[in-house]
Amino acid sequence: MLKLCFRRGDPTPGLPVIWPSGQDWPAEITALAQAAGFGAEAGRVLDAPGLPRRVLVGLPASPLRLDWEKAGAAAAAVLAEAPLAMVAAPGLAPDSVAAFAAGMALRAWRFDRHRTRDRKPALARVTCLVADPAACRAAWEAAAPAIRGCLFARDLVSEPANHLTTRRFAARLEDLAEFGIQVDIWGRKRLEKAGFGALLAVGRGAAEPPRLAVLRWPGRFDAPPIALVGKGLVFDTGGISIKGAQGMEAMRADMAGAAACAGAILALALRNCPAPVVAVLAIAENATGADSYRPGDVLRTASGRTVEVVDTDAEGRLVLADALHHATATLGARVVVDLATLTGAIVTALGPHRAGLFGNDAALLAALAASGEETGEHLWPMPIGARHRTDLHSDIADIRQCMPAGAGRLQPDASHAAAFLAEFAGPTPWAHLDIAGVDTQDKPHDLGPAGATGFGVRLLDRLLSAQYEEPPEPAGGRP
Amino acid sequence: MPDIAFAKPALPRSGTLVLPLHEADTPPIAWTGLAAEADAAAGGALSRALEAAGFKGRKGQSTTLWMPGGGLAKVVAIGLGKAADLTPHAAEAAGGAMIPALAKDREATIAADALPPAIAASLAMGALLRAWRFDRYRTKEKEEDKPKLERLAFATADTTAAKQAFAPLRAVADGVFLTRELVSEPPNVLHPVEFADRCKALEKLGVEVEILGPKEMKRLGFGALLGVSMGSAVEPRMVVMQWKGAPKARRGKPFAFIGKGVTFDTGGISIKPAGGMEDMKWDMAGAGTVVGLMAALAGRKAKADVVGIVGLVENMPSGTAQRPGDVVKSYSGQTIEVINTDAEGRLVLADLLWYCQERFAPRCMIDLATLTGAIIVALGHEHAGLFANDDDLAQRILAAAKLTGEGAWRMPLGEAYDKALRSEIADMKNVGGRPGGAVTAAQFIQRFVNTKDGPMPWAHLDIAGTAWTSKDHPTIPKGATAYGVRLLDRLVADWDEA
Repeated sequence: MLKLCFRRGDPTPGLPVIWPSGQDWPAEITALAQAAGFGAEAGRVLDAPGLPRRVLVGLPASPLRLDWEKAGAAAAAVLAEAPLAMVAAPGLAPDSVAAFAAGMALRAWRFDRHRTRDRKPALARVTCLVADPAACRAAWEAAAPAIRGCLFARDLVSEPANHLTTRRFAARLEDLAEFGIQVDIWGRKRLEKAGFGALLAVGRGAAEPPRLAVLRWPGRFDAPPIALVGKGLVFDTGGISIKGAQGMEAMRADMAGAAACAGAILALALRNCPAPVVAVLAIAENATGADSYRPGDVLRTASGRTVEVVDTDAEGRLVLADALHHATATLGARVVVDLATLTGAIVTALGPHRAGLFGNDAALLAALAASGEETGEHLWPMPIGARHRTDLHSDIADIRQCMPAGAGRLQPDASHAAAFLAEFAGPTPWAHLDIAGVDTQDKPHDLGPAGATGFGVRLLDRLLSAQYEEPPEPAGGRP
Repeated sequence: MPDIAFAKPALPRSGTLVLPLHEADTPPIAWTGLAAEADAAAGGALSRALEAAGFKGRKGQSTTLWMPGGGLAKVVAIGLGKAADLTPHAAEAAGGAMIPALAKDREATIAADALPPAIAASLAMGALLRAWRFDRYRTKEKEEDKPKLERLAFATADTTAAKQAFAPLRAVADGVFLTRELVSEPPNVLHPVEFADRCKALEKLGVEVEILGPKEMKRLGFGALLGVSMGSAVEPRMVVMQWKGAPKARRGKPFAFIGKGVTFDTGGISIKPAGGMEDMKWDMAGAGTVVGLMAALAGRKAKADVVGIVGLVENMPSGTAQRPGDVVKSYSGQTIEVINTDAEGRLVLADLLWYCQERFAPRCMIDLATLTGAIIVALGHEHAGLFANDDDLAQRILAAAKLTGEGAWRMPLGEAYDKALRSEIADMKNVGGRPGGAVTAAQFIQRFVNTKDGPMPWAHLDIAGTAWTSKDHPTIPKGATAYGVRLLDRLVADWDEA
């Protein structure tokens, strides 16, 4: 991650200097802006070559935290290949400086692990020239955990499936123990004993076994945990209902939900979140093999409910069924939020700009939507209708997993999937984020380069800080 | 279609009796009025038989008893659910549910005497809506397969009040039937010219109807609409319908409803695959709904000023058809690069919306269109997609949707989606790609809502998933639903006439 330093004084000669608007610029910078016809409009950047190179960044009239982050990201995009840079921010408030720095760190992230040559220099270290370095450093330390969590998720999502196998994914999660997170990895035997029939079936065709990762952050008060549940398909061929070849390489990101939950719990640990939180990650590879599960199979899930498999490529909802049951029924979560790259239908519905938001609890959904707007990880509420549930009637089992292919091309599969998951979440306040359209971006976006976005980490971190950091009142209220 | 009558309660001595019964908070069901009389005449056989059959009066429950005693040939018990939950919409559903059970009867008496007269009217409305049938093209149907129901007599304590409550509902039902008929008609019969001619029938209700042909539209500069029509042998039409029912004080700022009327959509040069193409006869459902809505409002003499505009075209591939790559100039002056000739509905709406604002300066505009497959993938068939630039208008539509059971679900709009429409050669492309397909379609339409001279509340209902049903519903037989007629009738009633 980008290194940030804060000090007073003048720029180091020779380094590029970023000048965010929203403060009084010295006369020479104002003159430069005027000469270039740069009005410092929100989102605009002026890259003025020279010695020093100067980068002017526009901001809206009363910028929110997200605006500062976007402005920082816009500056970092211009300086992506300059290893060192300065930010001249003597007139900015510490929170603004920290948010600007956060945006820079998000945009400067790169995934270069698998390049062996022609590796371009990357922005690595930024010095902010500020009025109160100590206050800025403190503000940055408060902002940095969510950024680190987000970048951790991006790293995981970017890893190809031959590198991030189920076992190695689990090992990466075990490394989180150094931050005070208790990591418990379940292997096949333990899953069999606990009856995780859905997760086991999905992982059965692959050479590497499925895993359930339970990550606990104990927090500082005693209460049922907030549960984060993630779909962690390290690769999804579709199984026997195999996908078309076109675009299948993107399926290495089919564990983005689990990565986001892991990133979020890392962020919470780094900032010593007071609330107890648990992440339940269902990790598997959906492969084609002699022992793959088949369309028509009936599975017995951890909840005891039986599921008729119609399409082995609708595997995410199966692994989530077991994980949701574990989080709610076994761990007794107070609230559960699951994230999954679940359906193509949500991409057709909302495109690459918003994730689908489903659930059974209006207050939780509203809180999530608000956190999404604040962090730029936008959600949109979507329905679970009575018809969506009746469509899942099975002739042989308690429920079927989706509509059969013969039922017609235009199926509301995102709502079907959510209706399916609702059965396994039970009465616990539950929300489901279908992030299939937003886990990666084809083009550089407001807060990052093309590729993995880490969508969900900053959103969940914000949700926790906004809603759940006080101990819940005991049932029945105060006397 | 059965006649509907409201009569004083009197126990029929023969024939079929329908008993709408409430679910009891604590069973058994309470028998009152005619139902109690009938049960007494049968020596308590009705209540015993229904209890034995497991009839509890639950919503949607229906049980038929044959020769139950008391001289009756048949008793049909219909569940109303708990008394506290009985809304007009639930009563309509119960009324609709009796129709399948009466398929072989010529007439029936409905014991609605224990219910408020307005609820009796809603039962009648539901029955009527369900009993509708489109059989114009059946020539060899066997006598025993034809529906026989001629008369439904609703027993009610206050016939005057029930008739009064039913009169506006009947007008709305006629609007619904007009829409269903237009939507059901095959495309060789209902082409743009024929469709426009049928709109003329609204004049009898007091609606002013203007029909514009290709010459007039060319003079106006409707390049987007005319481009879609280029491939067809049948001329396009635009129909402008005006209902002026507002009291003097509220004259002038009409509601405006705009409908997409593609009488058949082959996709044009970007031709659709053969499977399911026959469904494209109902690609005029938006326009069909607007026409039925105008009939409903005029029929019940709504105290509001309303404009309905429909654009009627056929989208065909031919030597003269529009091509992908064509650039057309819309009535607004904005140019459009046609990437996909199968995204034609938005081209039609573009010209209509701009024209509507220029001519009528309406208080709000609501367009209806079977616009995208993407909305079906997004929402399925229970909700239409609602897009709006105005929260108040959106809330009113959602409220009316809830009351009428014509579901709507708000979908997003925003600049990020709008960017997908950027063109290299013109002001915009007519498609934005598969992701968020219904949203980018709505963004396209929004570009033809003029908010430069002040706010223009606008909403777009994508009804591709709700205009047609492959299953029977309580008040809607399989086929054309006329989705939107009741919702928008309710919107006007609650907004302006309350």
